Amino acid sequence: MAVAAPSMGKQGGFRLGAKGQESAAGFFFILPALIIIFAFIFIPLLSAFLISFTNWNGLQPPAEAAGVGLANYSRIFGLDNTTVVRDEFFVAIKNTFYYTLGVVPAQTILALVLAFIVNQQFLRFRGFFRVAFYFPSITSSIVIATIFLWLFNRNGVINGVIAGLAGAIGLEYSPVTWINDANGIIHNFLRLFGLTLRTAPEWMTESRILGQSIWQWISGPSVTMLAIMLLAIWTTTGTMMLIFLAALQDIPRQLYEAASVDGATRWQQFRLITVPMLRPTTFFVLTIGLIGCFQVFDQIYVISQGNPAGTTKTIAWIVFRNLRDSQAGLGAALAFVLFVIIAVFTIVQRRMVGKTVQQ
Amino acid sequence: MSTNTVVSNLDARGFSLPPNIGKIIRTMLTYGVLILFALAMIMPFVYAVTNSFKELPDIAANPMRLTPGIRADGTPYNWTTIGYDRALNNQQINFPRAIFNSFFVAVVVTIMRVIFNSMAGYALARIRFPGRGAAFAALVGTLMVPGIVLLIPRYLVLSQLGWIDTYWALLVPYFADAFGIFLMKQFFESIPREIEEAAEIDGASRFRMFFVIILPMAIPALTAMAIFAFQGTWNDFQGPLIALNLNRELYTLPLALAFLRGVTGDAIQWDLMLAGSVITTLPMAVIFFIFQRFFIEGVSYTGVKG
Amino acid sequence: MNKTFRFLTLAIVIALIAVAAAPNARAAQTVNLVLMGWSSSPSENERLQKIVDDWNAANADIQVTLNQVPDYDTTLQKSLAGGEPPDVFYVDSFRFLDLVRADALMPVGEMLTNADDFYPSLRDAFTTNGQFYCPPKDFSTLALQINTEMFEAAGLSAPTTWEEMRAAAEALTKDGVYGAVVPADFARWVAFLYAAGGSVTNDDFTEMTINSPEAAAALKFYTDLYLDGFAKTPADLGVGWPGEAFGKGLVAMSFEGNWIEPYLKDQFPDLKHMAVEMPAGPGGKATMAFTVCYAVPMKAKNPEAAVKFVDYLTGAEGMKAWTDLGLAMPTRASLREGWLAQFPNLEPYLNGAEYARKWQFVPGFQAVLDKVNEQLSLVMGENQTVNGALSEIETIGAEVLASR
Repeated sequence: MAVAAPSMGKQGGFRLGAKGQESAAGFFFILPALIIIFAFIFIPLLSAFLISFTNWNGLQPPAEAAGVGLANYSRIFGLDNTTVVRDEFFVAIKNTFYYTLGVVPAQTILALVLAFIVNQQFLRFRGFFRVAFYFPSITSSIVIATIFLWLFNRNGVINGVIAGLAGAIGLEYSPVTWINDANGIIHNFLRLFGLTLRTAPEWMTESRILGQSIWQWISGPSVTMLAIMLLAIWTTTGTMMLIFLAALQDIPRQLYEAASVDGATRWQQFRLITVPMLRPTTFFVLTIGLIGCFQVFDQIYVISQGNPAGTTKTIAWIVFRNLRDSQAGLGAALAFVLFVIIAVFTIVQRRMVGKTVQQ
Repeated sequence: MSTNTVVSNLDARGFSLPPNIGKIIRTMLTYGVLILFALAMIMPFVYAVTNSFKELPDIAANPMRLTPGIRADGTPYNWTTIGYDRALNNQQINFPRAIFNSFFVAVVVTIMRVIFNSMAGYALARIRFPGRGAAFAALVGTLMVPGIVLLIPRYLVLSQLGWIDTYWALLVPYFADAFGIFLMKQFFESIPREIEEAAEIDGASRFRMFFVIILPMAIPALTAMAIFAFQGTWNDFQGPLIALNLNRELYTLPLALAFLRGVTGDAIQWDLMLAGSVITTLPMAVIFFIFQRFFIEGVSYTGVKG
Repeated sequence: MNKTFRFLTLAIVIALIAVAAAPNARAAQTVNLVLMGWSSSPSENERLQKIVDDWNAANADIQVTLNQVPDYDTTLQKSLAGGEPPDVFYVDSFRFLDLVRADALMPVGEMLTNADDFYPSLRDAFTTNGQFYCPPKDFSTLALQINTEMFEAAGLSAPTTWEEMRAAAEALTKDGVYGAVVPADFARWVAFLYAAGGSVTNDDFTEMTINSPEAAAALKFYTDLYLDGFAKTPADLGVGWPGEAFGKGLVAMSFEGNWIEPYLKDQFPDLKHMAVEMPAGPGGKATMAFTVCYAVPMKAKNPEAAVKFVDYLTGAEGMKAWTDLGLAMPTRASLREGWLAQFPNLEPYLNGAEYARKWQFVPGFQAVLDKVNEQLSLVMGENQTVNGALSEIETIGAEVLASR
């Protein structure tokens, strides 16, 4: 408790010049938070990092595990000429990629559009709409996943609603087994044009790249994954809309007034004022969206557990699976690869968003 | 504002309808879109809540009905609270206790996080001390750590401390978080230095300055953080999953709900699961409706700061 | 105000450090044991609790707490990793070798009363390196469930061969009812693989043998039931597991273990159904035996008390009390006749035990299991060919076997 000692001293004895006391105050203020983060994030992180270089099976205290150098990492990337782990990893990359590619743009654009609409001056009941849109965000991911699991049941509400709508315009709808449909949505789309595994050209189905044929790579998210994606969009859009709305309301009106005095058209005002002013917010929304997508786990845990046919295996899910199924060393290595992927994407995205808006 | 802009622009170019009709269409379109989305956001809950009060065969046969349906033999189904009964009197999982646990953990974590995060945020924003840069960089790094990485190692740390299956493991690791510290740091940086300088001349210590002068100014930021802390802790699943192993008395609501499915086996009993979902959501929903203004402001606040 | 805050903060930090440093004191007068298992049907949970209560009443010096946990694998793994495993816990035959390889289990099998009474095949499932690690608590085999009402209405008798079964499935698929329910699950399909005369690996687990004409026939038979429209998956039928589909009368046939019997009795008391042995394929009759043992951890704090308790659970008395439910079958040969007299309708399950294969491969085989499930699902979705699936499974299996 020595660091706290200066605080016990005479009140008002502080001078800016007293560097030592200032430092002591700094330590005292930051220490509680730092201890917590050190003990429960850094130490675990460091041990996970060390574990990633061992063959720890997770069924004994980790000190008893043997070091294996970079073996776990080379298995992930198939550098040791094995394919089991590599193939699963790239399936998870593919699934996570499709998931992110669907969810992030959809939730961002939807949130932005809704924010513009809610921001219209004549709108009444703005408070109601804000509360309604935000409500899903306060709910636990486990609750939402449970409710969606029920809604998306084959005999459930979603199929009922679609059948009702289809019936209203005179179409026949055969219910989709949302929770257990491994068909990729791009495959389903191609099937409309008669392109299936059997009719696809050989170059698409024969040669393998990282364990999967081109045909498999272009599958798109499976129908089950699509249901989970809808869940994610549904949950997060409200929060993001509120963030955009706050940013819109934060743009000083004088900017627009000054611009119209200078003869700028509305479109020019939008392009030159609104878009740049929203840039930091857009970056923020994209970043939290991206990080959230890469880490998707709770929903998979409740809804699909990686099934059907491995089409909802995400990176976070295979980390969990390996930790649980006696391959904890490998699981830790996978977790660090995920960490690096998130870091790289965050940085690249920051650059890209920065550039396009500046042009 | 911009939708406004674009539409009135079209009007100005004259290939649109007369202004009045245009305005009516615009209004109807606006409300139409908003109501559609509001329904999409709310209806899943409405279906879940109403079905949770129906009999199990009725839920299976008529999920689309918001009221009890009719049996094949023509007799009607009834409203029932059997799902709630089975959830609250479950032999495997003590739901009433889980409600208490969720409240207790969320309240304690929120209070402690507000104190620790604001202190740390203030130190990073205003106080010069050796290692400040390093501490800040380290915090930045933790923001990108996927939670799943920590699953086993954090369990190991907690088990070294002897905290597994105790409240300590549910509480202490969450007393500070990098995101909250950032929020506070950014807020404190926005306060003019002059205020502190004036206080210094009056001879106030750092501590007095912080707790008496600065902290009261930070109420909006503190509220935002408190709300996130409460909401995040209430809904957290992975944290309790790590902290608890054999002691089911300490389950929080999300854990209780996730495991209720395991208890019922593969044949999911939807009256029970829907009732469990409603029980898990209800306290949070009540708090949300009471303090909705703060929630909305809190979220808005992060965005602007972010 | 600042003083209060300062005091609070200090107090909390000190409290944290004190708590962290406090030793984990425990009084040790009577021995307290924890029995950990997964939770299943309410009737099963209650019965086990009663057996434990009886023990506690009779043994004041060894008190047992039963803990039936959800998400069992994660819970067990965390306990073992933290170095404080429960004193007695369930181990599935599929997972057994992983745990032995991790040195997590104490070999206690031979310490039990009359250990030779356990069926040799079940002992074998928990024996490795010549040591009998843990006693099987019960076992189940797969059998064919048929809805007798539907069969009688169609004038069909219980199928005994694949051809008869397929014909029955075809005949019974009508009026919104399907012939059978076929999950994309290795643990079901594997019985067909063996019935076709195929195998997963060779006997000493050095080579995959799954890419064979026999396996192709089995895979084709199983998935064709689905692709030809005579069978559906549980999800297609909007149910959680095959037993539910069968109970609700959505299908006429299902391949399940004896755990389905008390479930049907509880949930669908009016259903008219019977179990028959799995139909014979081109390679003869085949079924799977699923079994679970009561394990004592290597790091047991009170191994003697734990063994004593396990001996009670798997002894003649404890096992009789447990298997009286009809949920699972006794693993002691001496209890066979008594059990059969009580549950004559479950004889097909017990008959299956004579030719059942064990549900066990090598450590790390979970990856192959996942792959088979995935490929089954792909073939059923017409996104994979039968031969393509088998060659994928062979590749991954060969690698798992090689890395052993």
